[in-house]
Amino acid sequence: MYLNSKRFILAAATAALTSIATPTWANGLMTIIVNDPSNPYWLTEGQVAQKTAEKLGYTAKVSAHKGDTNTESQLIDTAITNKSKAIILDPANADGSVGSVKKAIAAHIPVFIINAELNQSGLAKAQLVSNNAQGAALGAQQWVQQLGEAGDYVELKGPPSDNNAATRANGFETVLSQYPDLKKTGTEVANWDRTQGYNKMQSLLQANPNVKGVISGNDEMALGAIAALKEAGKLKQVTVGGFDGSPDAVDAVKDGTLAYTVMQPVATFAAKAVEQADTFLKTGKTGASSEKQLFDCVLITKDNAAKIKLPFMLSD
Amino acid sequence: MTDRTQQLAVPARPAKSIIGTGKSMSLARLLLEGRAFFALLVIIAVFSLMSPHYFSGANFLTMASHVAIFGLPAIGMLLVILNGGIDLSVGSTLGLAGVCAGYMMQGINLEALGVVLYLPVWAVAILTLVVGALVGLVNGVLIAWCRVPAFVATLGSLYVARGIALLMTNGLTYNKLSGSETLGNTGFDWLGFNRIFNVPVGVLILGVTALVCGYLLSRTSFGRWLYASGGNERAAELSGVPVKHVKISVYVLSGICAAMAGLVLSSQLTSSGPTAGTTYELTAIAAVVIGGAALTGGRGNVRGTLLGAFVIGFLSDGLVIIGVSAYWQTVFTGAVIVLAVLLNTLQYGRSRR
Repeated sequence: MYLNSKRFILAAATAALTSIATPTWANGLMTIIVNDPSNPYWLTEGQVAQKTAEKLGYTAKVSAHKGDTNTESQLIDTAITNKSKAIILDPANADGSVGSVKKAIAAHIPVFIINAELNQSGLAKAQLVSNNAQGAALGAQQWVQQLGEAGDYVELKGPPSDNNAATRANGFETVLSQYPDLKKTGTEVANWDRTQGYNKMQSLLQANPNVKGVISGNDEMALGAIAALKEAGKLKQVTVGGFDGSPDAVDAVKDGTLAYTVMQPVATFAAKAVEQADTFLKTGKTGASSEKQLFDCVLITKDNAAKIKLPFMLSD
Repeated sequence: MTDRTQQLAVPARPAKSIIGTGKSMSLARLLLEGRAFFALLVIIAVFSLMSPHYFSGANFLTMASHVAIFGLPAIGMLLVILNGGIDLSVGSTLGLAGVCAGYMMQGINLEALGVVLYLPVWAVAILTLVVGALVGLVNGVLIAWCRVPAFVATLGSLYVARGIALLMTNGLTYNKLSGSETLGNTGFDWLGFNRIFNVPVGVLILGVTALVCGYLLSRTSFGRWLYASGGNERAAELSGVPVKHVKISVYVLSGICAAMAGLVLSSQLTSSGPTAGTTYELTAIAAVVIGGAALTGGRGNVRGTLLGAFVIGFLSDGLVIIGVSAYWQTVFTGAVIVLAVLLNTLQYGRSRR
């Protein structure tokens, strides 16, 4: 009898769950796969894409691969099983994600790449990325202005598997190599992560106690570096630069702890990617002139930091 | 003289369990014994009700190929746990094996001879398994001969293997794994993409490995030695079981299983990265525990481990299909593990000597 009542409860629970479960697809399902929502950049990327898709009448599911190509492959499998109409993907690895994208295309689901490039063209219908080279040059020039043209500096880089990390590092190098008195005394890979930025900065401080500046590939690593500098009591003497334009970084710019950040128009291109997907599904063409589309970045300093009211959107 | 040896040779009475040896099997006892199987049925039923896409042959095969990636290390982990040890390095061995396979597929640069060596795919596969066996051998020697505790030794090799993989690739991934006709090394992606009778090759490899290990455990003397040394190592040693050889062998087998998983994964993705397999050792341990094995050793079987792996795999994939946040997956996996161990103690608890 006890078992009978347990079975009854189980049956009632599943019945109740089904009533709140499967929603009716209007236009179909769009699967949005981002990197790691614990980073406000990717969180906004997923949220904006989801809102835009729902506004256009689709159901949207956001999932995260956290930089692991196997998880990404499994999420694409799920998107195929769920019969998605389109996949909006922020790839984990410029080369390693090609296999997963090919899988989706073989299942007749168009793929739209955002934020990070894929090293093979002709697969995705569109690749919408920030103009990282332009943003890096902007940032480096501002950094030199605030630091002065001489001194020791260190660099924090993103993972080597992300093309954006290399593009930004090269962009910084192109500008900074023109100042012979600026010496790079250390460089570390902190994988876009705040904790890793903190730890690596502490080690770099041990090795280079006279460092005058830190230039970072993204905001999270820069904020970690700021925490390390604050802990060592060296924040006042060091100029720190970030990249992304995340809300925490904008607050730090307003406080004066972060010299500047370069805002990526992630809200713009995440929404645009969904719109192009919608256009493609309805007309067979994305409406864009080429597969790879670059979106310019905006420099955020103390002067215009107040203009950012919503994450990653400059209200002008 | 009374025939004492005859009396001593009689096997000890099987440990009393809550199930008992009685023939009456009430529904509660049936559920407890076959709990992994019933859990799997419940999971399939619940998710099929919640999503129209779950209950289809194609989806089951897809989910099974996901399970194969951590199911293979789980089978190796079962052997180690049966011996009373633990192998935390399987995730790193998986990553290292994938990286080694990728390295060999790119062409081994022998600068001294001025040639670049392109091995055929079967040679790459065998050498990768050798790499896994080597890692297992190092583990086994440390644990059996140097008497380092299993947890510590395999924790060390977890870091070392991961570090070697990162050093070999410098953080990047090996991507050109499809080979080329002129070099005669095509076919690497056969493991990942091919299907025999519409079943993905990875799943078939899991099945074959499970059958081989099941046979090893139940029908060979090695299996008997394994259960004996896991149940009571001192008694087994005194009875003539080559305990040290068995210990080293299980770690070597665990390394080989992990290397097989690394091969299957890199061929599924046609790319091998040094961070592949991070935390897979924990999933493997979870699968073994859910399958009813005792972490102290001496109890467990392949069927239970496979069921445990499928429970975790089908649950995680089901949660993704219905769109539940990935964070809930970790909550559920943890809850299932604790529940499984609770039921383990319920089943075997009374038998404590």
